[in-house]
Amino acid sequence: MAHPESVGEGEEEHHGSPWPVIIAVGMGVAYVGIVSGSIPLLLAGVVIFAGGIGGWIHQDLQRPSSPFYGLAAAVESRFPRVSARKLGMWLMLATEIMFFSAIIGASWTLRLRTATIGLPTFQGPWATPNQILNVPLTGANTFILICSSLTMVEALAAIERGDQSKLRLFLLATLLLGITFLSIQAFEYQHLFFGEGLTFTHAPAGSGVNPLYGPTFYAQTGVHGSHVTAGVLAMAYVTRKAFKGGFTKENHEAVELAGLYWHFVDVVWIFLFTIVYLI
Amino acid sequence: MSETATATHATGAVEELKKRPYVVVFVILAVVTLVELNVYSLGLPHLEAIVILVILATVKASLVVAYYMHLRYEPRWLALIPLAGLALVAVLVAALTATVAH
Repeated sequence: MAHPESVGEGEEEHHGSPWPVIIAVGMGVAYVGIVSGSIPLLLAGVVIFAGGIGGWIHQDLQRPSSPFYGLAAAVESRFPRVSARKLGMWLMLATEIMFFSAIIGASWTLRLRTATIGLPTFQGPWATPNQILNVPLTGANTFILICSSLTMVEALAAIERGDQSKLRLFLLATLLLGITFLSIQAFEYQHLFFGEGLTFTHAPAGSGVNPLYGPTFYAQTGVHGSHVTAGVLAMAYVTRKAFKGGFTKENHEAVELAGLYWHFVDVVWIFLFTIVYLI
Repeated sequence: MSETATATHATGAVEELKKRPYVVVFVILAVVTLVELNVYSLGLPHLEAIVILVILATVKASLVVAYYMHLRYEPRWLALIPLAGLALVAVLVAALTATVAH
């Protein structure tokens, strides 16, 4: 069922959403919980945050994509041909670059230092490729993520042509590929943690591998996996909205922004796969 | 192009969209991934293999950013935003390298 083109009152409604404020409050409460070491406060913040996201998505699904933030915003923006929302997404991605660099840099430093010096407890070589990790399996998972990037960009190309059915098909494919990636990673974690004995504190018994190998592996791939999870949730929302006919040839910026995030997570994986699995 | 006739300014845009080589990029990404998985079978010294792997990863990431994230088609100044993030990464890498060397 296709929505009619957005009208003036829809734009009015768009300005009054309380949900972003609630999301921000939830993040603030959760942050205070982390800093003060209070689990109840952290959980309360997470619940407020999740409720805010749910409320916002629910509100947004009730109406078609608003032109207010689409072409009009690009024209009104101080910056040529880039809407405020896209600029915001790129700024967030710049912070994500720094975030992942910090995690990878810390892991890499530990790896280089502990190979030679350091406390006796943390001595021992890093695992070589294929020694503990299943590189072919993750190679296949990498391929799945690349496929999902193709389907994502094809979804955007479809709605740019005004092709609703292709948009739905490709978004659904992206969503399913993302879930497949996460499922394989969950399988891998389960096998490594319980099968191989690669834990947060110990390397597999008898392997002689540095005990810091496990925590750095889980930190790097886990942070990435949580980003894929967030991407899958975003993809589920965009797909749902596409099936409700919420995007048009003129107004589909949410598809583009979700795609930017999705491709960024793919880019991070390209480096992580090389650094964690291949080197 | 009957589909573009209805839109006022879409003809040029649609023609431009058709030229975007999404599938070609996908094939390159898949092939490079296969090469990555088989670098060690070439029997290169470890350091050289690492250098090749890092170069291949950079090529893949650049392709995704340029074509799938459309940075190639955006105004040039937009690239300054991720580059600013990368500049800080360069500082971080330099600091870590100094720490490790020390």
